[in-house]
Amino acid sequence: MLSIEAAGEGTVVLAGRLDAAQSPTLQAYLDRLQGRVTLDCAKLEYISSAGLGVLLKTQKRLLPGGGKLRLTGVSRHLQDIFQYSGFDQILEIEPAP
Amino acid sequence: MSGHKEFARGNESLESIFEFTSEFFVRNRLDPRILPIVDFAVEELFTNMVKYGGADASPIAIEIACVDGAVEVALVDTGVEPFDMTQAPDVEVHGPIEERKAGGLGLHLVRRLVDSWDYRYSKELRQSRITFRKAFAKSQARAAASAEGGSNAVD
Repeated sequence: MLSIEAAGEGTVVLAGRLDAAQSPTLQAYLDRLQGRVTLDCAKLEYISSAGLGVLLKTQKRLLPGGGKLRLTGVSRHLQDIFQYSGFDQILEIEPAP
Repeated sequence: MSGHKEFARGNESLESIFEFTSEFFVRNRLDPRILPIVDFAVEELFTNMVKYGGADASPIAIEIACVDGAVEVALVDTGVEPFDMTQAPDVEVHGPIEERKAGGLGLHLVRRLVDSWDYRYSKELRQSRITFRKAFAKSQARAAASAEGGSNAVD
């Protein structure tokens, strides 16, 4: 399951698993946001290509308006996924400490 | 050290699939660090089978086992036409964002995350079978081999 919680100032806290079954829910949530959006991924355990698609679509929508996605607390496993998919070049990614 | 279960075609099965793989890892005390990789490969292969399988295709069977210091997973789809996912082309992952597409990323990543994958098709059964392996770290491989009976110890 995936938990999505607003934490104020454009920050959204994600927890759980972002798979093909959960991705439409996150897409619908992010579609309502504008500007600079921070996704706190410290408790995000898993992402599949469906989740990557959500991030790509959102970043493409935000950039022309001067906004962008920033991911924080990104685990080693998620960093590998972002690296192999080249998403580390199109998203601002802050690794977990 | 093996398991087998069938899952209805659809994304709603993913939660029970992840329970199945997680229970296998816990029951056999396997290194949890490779579980997200196993889950990733299973999800990508399963969702592709769902997407491209025929309307009359039966549930998809998933088999999981520890073999030679690795986890081996097979997805078996019966009543379908051939579809060799191991031959899917790589996608461009270094271009500007305007040219990026999400389609194809899943299999592109599976190719990089697992140690091997193999596709077989039975015309007689109209059955696709795709198998992948992900190796444990060496210390975990020794433990798994020991649990299997000590015949497959890995240095």
